Order: sequence, then C-alpha cells, then structure tokens
Amino acid sequence: MLSVTQLSKKYADKTVLDDVSFNIAPGEIVALLGANGSGKTTTINSICQLIEYDAGDIQFGGQSIQSNRQYLSQIGAVLGGSRNINWRLTASQNAEYFAALRGHSGKAVKHNIAQLQQRLGLDKYAKLEVLKLSTGNKQKAALLSALAYSPKLLLLDEPTLGLDLDTVQELQDIIGQQSSDSGQAFLITSHDMSFIDKICQKVIVIDQGKVIFSGTIDALKNTLYSYKLRAQLANSVDEVELEKNLHDLCAGRYQLQFEQNVLRVDYETPEQVMPLLSWLHTQNICPTELSITPLQMEDAFRSLTQAAKQEEKS
Amino acid sequence: MSWLLLFKNELKLQYFDMRQYWFETVLSLVVICGLFVGLFYGIKSFAYEGQEGQSLDGLMFGFLLWTFATTAYSSITKTVIDDTQKGYIEQLFIAPKSFTKLLFVKVIVDIASGFMFLILVTYLVMWLTGNWLDIHFLKFFAALLLAAPSLVGLGLIVSGFALVFKRVDTLGQMLTLALMALVALEGLPFGPITLLPFTPGVSLARDWVLNGSPLQMYDVAIVTLNSALYLFVGSAIFKHFEQVAKRKNLIGQY
Repeated sequence: MLSVTQLSKKYADKTVLDDVSFNIAPGEIVALLGANGSGKTTTINSICQLIEYDAGDIQFGGQSIQSNRQYLSQIGAVLGGSRNINWRLTASQNAEYFAALRGHSGKAVKHNIAQLQQRLGLDKYAKLEVLKLSTGNKQKAALLSALAYSPKLLLLDEPTLGLDLDTVQELQDIIGQQSSDSGQAFLITSHDMSFIDKICQKVIVIDQGKVIFSGTIDALKNTLYSYKLRAQLANSVDEVELEKNLHDLCAGRYQLQFEQNVLRVDYETPEQVMPLLSWLHTQNICPTELSITPLQMEDAFRSLTQAAKQEEKS
Repeated sequence: MSWLLLFKNELKLQYFDMRQYWFETVLSLVVICGLFVGLFYGIKSFAYEGQEGQSLDGLMFGFLLWTFATTAYSSITKTVIDDTQKGYIEQLFIAPKSFTKLLFVKVIVDIASGFMFLILVTYLVMWLTGNWLDIHFLKFFAALLLAAPSLVGLGLIVSGFALVFKRVDTLGQMLTLALMALVALEGLPFGPITLLPFTPGVSLARDWVLNGSPLQMYDVAIVTLNSALYLFVGSAIFKHFEQVAKRKNLIGQY
C-alpha cells in the first residue's frame, strides 16, 4: 500500500534522511523508532506532503504521491508537536470537519464517530469544546479525528502521550481491531516501547536519517539477547576471582559486565545462567538483589542505536 | 471530493464557531457599530452646514466599504495566521484539495457571511444615527464581489509571508489601516491610483450605488483587470512561499 523508496532530505548541509526505504502492507502495524532528531517526523511529514523531499519516491497504492493528491483522503494523521484539531470545536465537530475535509461524510461517518467517541470515553464530554478538556482527552479527540473516516493508512506520532493506562489499553484494542477488521495500516512513532511491543508487527529503526533496522519485532529481539540477569553482590566478593570463574560458567552467546559489585549478564536461553547461579551458591555468595527479566523493546532499541553509533565511531 | 462538501463543511464550521462563541459574535457587532457611531458624531460636529448630509453619507458608505474590505482581506490571513497559532494548519494541508483551493472556499464563505453581517451593520448604524441611506444592496454586493479578488490577492501575499516568517502582525496591522486609505481614494477614471488594489472597485460602487450614475462597461473592465492582476500576483507569491515552507519544513512550525 505504502512504499517509501530511497527517500533523502537535506536542510542546508545537514542530512536528515538518507536513502530511507520501507513498505507498509494493508493491515500492517509498523513502528518507526529513533531518537529525537533521527528523521522520524521528517519521514511522516514527507508522507503527508508537508515537506518536499530532495530525492527518492513515495508511492501510495502503486502511484507516486507527487502526481496524485487523492491519496490524502485515505490518510489519517496525529502529528507530534501539533494540536492537530480546532480547540474551539467539540471532539465530534472536529471529527466531522476533518472527515469532510478529506472527502468523507454521511451517516456511516457519523455512526463511526459516535462509536469511537464512546470507546475513547469522550462521550461524557460530548458538549464540551476541546479547549475545556484535559490533556489526555485532547489527545483522544485528536485520535478521534484521525480515525473518524476509517482511512487506509494512519500516521500516529506519539499517540499515547498524556494518556492514562486504561486509555492506552483501549487504544491498543482499537488499533488492533481496525487493523484486523478493516485492513487499516498504521505507522506509529512512540517512546512508549511496551505499547510498540504489544501492537506492532514490524519495526523500522532510524538513526541519523538512516534505516539501521527493518523487520519484525521478534527479529529485532533475536539480533540481541533475550534475557538479562542483574545481581547485587556483597562487598566482600573478590572481583578478579569472580570474573575468572564467570567466563567458564556461562555457555553460549552472552555479554557480561561486573561493575561496583553489580553483576549484569545478557544472554539468550534461560538455562545458560544455571551454572552461574549454582556456582554463586556453592561459593556462598549471596546476592542482596537478584532479578532475571526478559529483554524489553526499549533495551533492544537502545542496544541497536548504541551499536550503530559504536560502528560509526570505529 | 466535491466542492459542495467543502463549502458545506466551511459553512458548518463558521456556524459552530458563531453559535458556540455567540458572545464574541455579538461583541464584534457592538464594537464595529460603536466605532462607527463615534466616528459619525465626530464628523458631524466638524461638518459644514449644508455639506453635512453629503459628508455623512460618504462617511457611512466608506465605512461599509472598509468593513467589507477588512472581512475579505482578513478571511485569508486569518486562516493562515490564526490556524497556525491554533496549531492545526498542518491538518488543513493534508487534504485531497490543495490548501490554496481550501483558502478560496473559506474566502467565499467568509464573504457570503460578511455580506449578511454588513446588512445587519448597515441597518443598525442607520438606525443608531438616524442617517438613512438609500442603498441597493444587490448592486452594492455586485460591485464589491467584482472588486473583492484584489483584496484576496493582498491577503494571499501577507499569508505567504506569514507561512515562512510567521510573525507578520505589524504588516497585517499596517494593511488594515491602509485599507482605510484605499476606500477613500478614487480609482476611476483611470490614473495611477487605479493601479492600487480595490480602488477602482470603490469608485465603481460609489458612483453606481451611492450616486446613482449609470454603469460604464469600461469601468467594469478596469475593476475586473485590477482584481485579476492582484489575485494572480497574490496566488503566485503565496504558491512560492508555500514551496519555500515545504522545502524548509516550516509549515506549522510556529
């Protein structure tokens, strides 16, 4: 449905997008990740034709967007750093206005708005102008406007900003349902990694304008470690002796760090650390704190961008 | 996407805004009438005996022209400047019809509602001042419609600057004041003044509607050319600044 090919953009001498390519199929939920200033917003703005890119092409439904504005009737966007809607109107008035602006009106749209309004918990504030709503509800009203006319592609820049946990959960459900039932595709940027982890099937990681990873969330996690162990050891532990033994105890692929009596091991399979734990027991080394956690998206993303930076330095 | 839907949408937006912020709507009516009544009695106290009637009719007519000119000019700048400040101008660009087309729809809707506002203001100020003008509104609006594109062009120039430079308040305020001068000037018969925006339209309205002179096709042609010229130049300048804003990622970056 959406195909971004070798997209490049420079502001003066600074390259903000360098050969960015990716595809989004109908019904796919894709995360666009990257640090601040990495090029995420420029990518989204290019898709919305809010900026002119220097090179490359963006195709929607097999047609270049340069020669066809009609695709914008099938785009819904919640843009970061923007209010997105008219605060002088109510949430549903906004939704109707922006739906009509993109060529959608009638009973089906109104019905959809009423349903979404209820699901987002905005029906209680139906008569209030957006400026009188709380920050979270303002964000929900912006989402309502983007979802109102069931566009084929939704671009959501930080959609969970200011939302409470229940609403984030509701948003997850809505996105999942819209994607599976209506075949709507989503391109989402967010710093809320658990949100991304739960709903996205594909991840594109951008760093300094370049795509450094593109694939499934599982593939992203598989390029890294699956678990991390963290143990706070007593001060009396002999560091040299410990490090010497640790390398003999851990099998397979792993990464080990021992600093200020905190032992950190990133590894792939649960059984890998059993000899280590057994050795700690036989040596009577008792951790004051011990945790084993599966790798989170956030850690995976951080490791990936750090690795890219280290690679660039070397 | 149909134009009709776009018009209906903008009309609805204006209706919601006026209904929900009725106090603001009423207040603007009170302020504009109050301003005129103040001016009216100020001029009346200075006018010569015998010339008074003529001066006051001219003043009232000039005031109506200025009210219309401000509406037509600011309908464009309001969208670009206000909607940028309100933070959703980007969303107006994400539409199958281009932003310039949307602006034209907004202008037409604003001018249509401006006409109704003008009729209300006219009767209110005539009633308040007791100075009754014999205005043929159909002729009056026809003359204004013919001249309005020049003001739209002027608005597009200022909006183009606003899109890139953001803070153009001073330029906007200066132009609002300049409109007062423009509605006082005589743009007909053809002379250097004719080249200024809106001036031939003002003269046409004054001669044809207020003084009851017959309509000259030559004058109509001049007004049409003045409108076309400013609309063309305004559109070209706005398009240029829109491209600059898109190249430099400035849309909405207030």
